[in-house]
Amino acid sequence: MMSAGDPVERSGDAEVRVVLDRVCKSFAPAGGGDRVSALQDASLSVGSGKFLALLGPSGCGKTTLLRLVDGLIQPDSGTVHVFGAPPRPGPDIGFVFQSFRLIPWAKVTRNVDFSLRDLGLTAAEREERTRRVIKMVGLTRFANAYPATLSGGMKQRVALARALAPEPKVLLMDEPFASIDAQTRELMQIELMRIWTRRRPAVLFVTHSVDEAIILADEIALMGPSPGKVIETVPVDLERPRWTYDARAEPRYVELRKHLSSRMRQFVLSDPASEFFGRDLVQPDGMGS
Amino acid sequence: MALFKRELAMLRDVLQSCGSSAVRTAFALRNLCKPPDSLMIAFYRIGFFALLMALWQVAATRMGTNVLPSPLATWRAAQTLVGEGQLIVAIGDSLTVYLSGFAIAIIVGVPLGVVMGGFRVLGKTLEVYVFALAATPRVAFIPLIIVLLGLGVEAKTFIVFLGALMPILINAYAGVLAADEELLEMARSVGTPRGRIFTSIVLPGAVPFVIVGLRIGATIGLINTVVAELYTAVRGLGGLLAIYGNTFRMAEYFVVVLTLATVGVIVTESLRYIEARVSRWRDV
Ligand SMILES: Nc1ncnc2c1ncn2[C@@H]1O[C@H](COP(=O)(O)OP(=O)(O)OP(=O)(O)O)[C@@H](O)[C@H]1O
Ligand SMILES: [Mg+2]
Repeated sequence: MMSAGDPVERSGDAEVRVVLDRVCKSFAPAGGGDRVSALQDASLSVGSGKFLALLGPSGCGKTTLLRLVDGLIQPDSGTVHVFGAPPRPGPDIGFVFQSFRLIPWAKVTRNVDFSLRDLGLTAAEREERTRRVIKMVGLTRFANAYPATLSGGMKQRVALARALAPEPKVLLMDEPFASIDAQTRELMQIELMRIWTRRRPAVLFVTHSVDEAIILADEIALMGPSPGKVIETVPVDLERPRWTYDARAEPRYVELRKHLSSRMRQFVLSDPASEFFGRDLVQPDGMGS
Repeated sequence: MALFKRELAMLRDVLQSCGSSAVRTAFALRNLCKPPDSLMIAFYRIGFFALLMALWQVAATRMGTNVLPSPLATWRAAQTLVGEGQLIVAIGDSLTVYLSGFAIAIIVGVPLGVVMGGFRVLGKTLEVYVFALAATPRVAFIPLIIVLLGLGVEAKTFIVFLGALMPILINAYAGVLAADEELLEMARSVGTPRGRIFTSIVLPGAVPFVIVGLRIGATIGLINTVVAELYTAVRGLGGLLAIYGNTFRMAEYFVVVLTLATVGVIVTESLRYIEARVSRWRDV
């Protein structure tokens, strides 16, 4: 296990797509008062074609980190580099948001097409690309439906299609499967792996599910709260594709799961900001579930 | 979806004849959620109309027909008024004033509200004055308007315009300000230029607000039409109202009142129809 304490300064390296170096970000609360520190000295790097899972409890700055990588917000200090330069939002970086963020008055086709409008494609090319991506996420039958008529899982697939349509080299995914039932989630994970294997964008995948992180990622960045930071980065050395065999039975899987789960539990229990009422009842170190 | 309606109705009949109470409850719940059958509503409305007529008749006979004319007397008066032409002329006069004042209010109010919402500094600067003007009873301006524009159609139209403008403007402004932050960030994230974020996210999002503004504006506009006709040159439906009211010709007076109500219903129902058309994506 590699500590993320000392940042990896490899921005000259063409293989590295995303680099965060000692990034701090705080927000002024809407109601006034002291600034809330969302991220402090967060450092990580994602290689080209790599799948990184950001694992951490609620409120540890995962969404904030993705927004920084997309260039939607600027860091207070430290550097964020994507392709060796500060990022700007656009077609090179795809973002699947925690909420689906579909345009309610536009049909599925137009929602997907929305991310293609500034690529300088012809109308015919856009139409063809939209059709192909919608097919890829299995929604051809619903191409002319309004978002309100779709299930949660289908909405999430539309959002995924929209993010994939411009063929981004970096894909940011913010708990994309959190609001989907367990069975659909598993299928969506397999689908995501299939797409990722074919396209190979660098992926930053936020989750607070330990299992999801291990099943999907090449590497897991474990984040801790108050203030949010990257605690450690753990490589996941399990063979791919992981859904063709029962990865969960591998000793390495069990070991990783135990380690990550206990760290996660520790964060929640020791977070001064959390008012977890069962704190006194649970031993901070013990009992892998 | 319309295709399935008949099938659904048939299915419901079949299932209900089986007497399964669970199914019946399910459909009852469904009916609570979805808009009711329009044919049924029309039927109920006609029934309620008959009830009103009956109550009216009873009230008229008990109060004396010189205070409250009977439905039949009102109907006869309506026939006479239409036959002699006054009513049609009055409707023409009133509608001219009403519709042109309302139209100008839309043409001015919607763009102004949108621009105020689009340029925050401008909006923040002007909004105090807009709200102050909206809070002032518009009748207060009528003497001033008469001094400036006289007693003719211009003055009347302006009074209607002034009444309808504020709700239209304020709602368009609010609609632009209420743009969905999450959608805005999504648009920014895919690299949409600012101008198109405005036209493809902000403006369509404001449409429901604008339509609410139009509906309120339409109602206030109609009220102001009558007010204008009472305060300036006595003409149109408001004029007839004054004439018949002052001379206690109650049957004729009632005809005018009902005509005004009908105009109001037609206008607001049309706007409601437009609203339903525009927001079709809402219903499943
Ligand atoms: N725009 C904002 N304004 C004020 N505070 C913010 C803003 N965005 C984030 N924060 C604060 O920063 C901290 C981290 O937020 P963030 O949304 O990044 O957490 P998260 O890890 O994504 O949590 P979750 O798993 O619940 O989505 C929180 O304390 C939050 O209140
Ligand atoms: Mg989040």
